[in-house]
This record gives sequence, structure tokens and C-alpha cells, in this order.
Amino acid sequence: MTTGPSDESPRALDELASEYVLGTLSTEQRIDVQERLRHDTRLRTAVDAWESRLLGLTELTEPQSPSPHLWQRIERSVNVLNRQQSTPTAVPPVAWWNRLPLWRGLAGTGLAASLLLAAMLLTQTTVKPAYLVVLVAPQDKAPGWVIQASNPRAIQLIPLGVVEVPADKTLEFWTKAEGWQGPVSLGLVKPGQTLSVPLDKLPPLEPNQLFELTLENPNGSPIGKPTGPIQYIGRAVKVL
Amino acid sequence: MPETLFDYEYHLAACARGERQALRDLYVQESPRLLGVAKRLVRDTALAEDIVHDAFLKIWTGAGRFDPARGSARGWMFSVTRHLALNCLRDHSRETQGDIDRLDNADAFDAQLHGARIHLCLEQLEPARRRCIVHAYVDGYSHAQISQKLGTPLGTVKAWIKRSLTALRECMG
Repeated sequence: MTTGPSDESPRALDELASEYVLGTLSTEQRIDVQERLRHDTRLRTAVDAWESRLLGLTELTEPQSPSPHLWQRIERSVNVLNRQQSTPTAVPPVAWWNRLPLWRGLAGTGLAASLLLAAMLLTQTTVKPAYLVVLVAPQDKAPGWVIQASNPRAIQLIPLGVVEVPADKTLEFWTKAEGWQGPVSLGLVKPGQTLSVPLDKLPPLEPNQLFELTLENPNGSPIGKPTGPIQYIGRAVKVL
Repeated sequence: MPETLFDYEYHLAACARGERQALRDLYVQESPRLLGVAKRLVRDTALAEDIVHDAFLKIWTGAGRFDPARGSARGWMFSVTRHLALNCLRDHSRETQGDIDRLDNADAFDAQLHGARIHLCLEQLEPARRRCIVHAYVDGYSHAQISQKLGTPLGTVKAWIKRSLTALRECMG
């Protein structure tokens, strides 16, 4: 599905929207549409119209009572999301962790840097880490920190050099795995500090899990979600 | 509470302000129907509950970005849930598993058709084409699965669906 908004007839756009809502697009086409929906207002309008046209078909399914635990699970997850957070509206319209192009852009250079550093670290350590992450600056992809985890329950954040942070700001450490609704704070970080973080309140590490450091006010983000610019960012790579 | 009396928009706006009780009210109001939709799509109760869990987190975090000009609040909750389930279905593509339930009676759909405009428009389609639309939307079947289920060539199924959607659009405006 490479048809772009510029060379797409209104009819083709409407057909794409209708089959997206109906559910008959392939995985690749679905991903493509979902990415376009972030910025393509024509497609969004067409999809919205189809959603409301076909909504009545949901009546053809039998309601089913959820198990009593489901609400408790939702409530617990909302608590995790809300730690310190009082205003969900403060989340920006398109949060950075939803920006696919950013991840695509980082994937190539980030992976190369990860592999290089993984090789370096492996020759120097006796305990083989299970996961490695190289955090790079988003602009020039310069590596600034490395994260290693010898077991999935704790990680070490290790500085690779001296990082300059404005006097009235601090670095906050975040992570987000596939399927999480947003990043979770792992605490504040001083420049040049090696930090050990237990992950006992989070699910075990998984491949591709995102880590990042953002610039926040001295007490950290007031809403429990990143608010300041990303300083360093990277994905977990499993070490074989 | 009947959906006509429940103020979905008000509750979403309250979620956006961080009011937990509003999310709970939305859950009490719609979770059985949302779970029904998800279960029918993914055909597994535990997985369907995972999807409803994720949907409610999305509803909670996305409430502030919900725009009533784009559609109804209730419809948005269903869209969020359906697309999570569809993403899950397509990710774990069942194309090769051939696990289509052949026991359900497609004609039972007809008995349930009532009221809303979509159902009137659907009734104007030929039965086989109507079944394509319902299998796709309600059961989450791919083109290939519908073709297998109806014993109709894949190309025909694709063409039927395209034309049926055009007909539905004309009928519904």
C-alpha cells in the first residue's frame, strides 16, 4: 500500500477507509492506514464516516459479562499510568512514543551503535548481560549512555561520557515496552552517575523495549509522563 | 442504563479530567458489549479480556483527545476496541490455521437484524454478499477465510465486498 494522499482518488481513499473499518485489510495495509491516520485528515474523515455507518453491526454480537477481575486489572493499570498524574489532558496530541518515523529513523543507526557497543562490552565483562541498550542523542545519534541487564529484573544505566544538563533541569529515565499505553518513569538521573534500577514493579524486560532520558524540571515530570525534550533514546537488544 | 440515556460524552470528558468514577461508569455501561465484540473477533475469552483491558486504558488516556465532531463517544469506544482486536487478529494471522467455526448458522444473522439503518441497508444486499460483510466486520474474517467459509472464489469475495460497501454507502449516505 504505497498510494499516497496526493495521487489517490477520492474513491480509492474511501474504499481504503471502508475496508479498514470493515477489517479486511492485510496487516501491512492496516499499519499503513493507522500511521496515515495520525496526519491525513481526509483519510481520517472517511474512516470516521465508515465507523459510524457500520457501528450498528456491533449489535449482532452477544454481550458477555466480564470476569470480576477485569475491572481490578484495569484499575491497577490506571494506577500505574497515573502515578503522580492528575491531568491526562496534558498528554500531547501525538506523543513521541507513537511517532513511528522517529523509531524507524533510529532503528538503523541505533542498532549499529548497539551492536558495536554490545561487542565492546561483551569483551570486558565476565557476567554476560541478557539485554543491552545504547541510548543515543536523537539529533546526531551520538551514544551517551548504555543500559545493561544481567537479569530481566534489574538494569544498570551507565554514562559513556559527561552530559551537560541546564542548572534548573534534571534528567528523567523512562521505559516503555510494546503494548504499554505510555512510558513509565524509572527515576531521576544525575549526569555522570551510574544508576542501578530494580524492575520489580514492572514486567520483565523484553526485546525492543524503549528507554529514554528526557529533560524535566528538578523534581521530575509533574504528570508522570515525559514532558521535556528527549536527550537520549534507544531500544533493548537481546544478547545471544 | 439504555445507551440512549447514558451520556457517553460527559463521561469521557470526566475521564479527561482524571475522574476515575467516570471510567468505572463507562465500564459498567459498556464492558459486556465491548467484551462481546472482542470475543467474537478473537474467539478466546482471556484474549478478549486483555483487549478490553487495553481498550479501557486507551479510553482513559485518549479521552482528552476525543473530538465529538468526529463521531459519537460510544462509537469511539467500540472503534478503539474493534481495532485493538483486529490488530491482534492480523498480527497472529489465522489465515493458515483454518480454524473457522463452521457450526454457526449464518442465517441466524437475519433474525437479529433490526432497527438501525445499517440493518435495513444490509437487508437490501443479496444474502451471500450480506454474509461477507457480517463475517468481515463481526467475525474478523479475512478475504481468504470468507472465501473458504462460503466456498466462493477469493476474487469474487473481494469484488462482492467492494460492491457491497459501495451499495451500503449509497444506501446510508
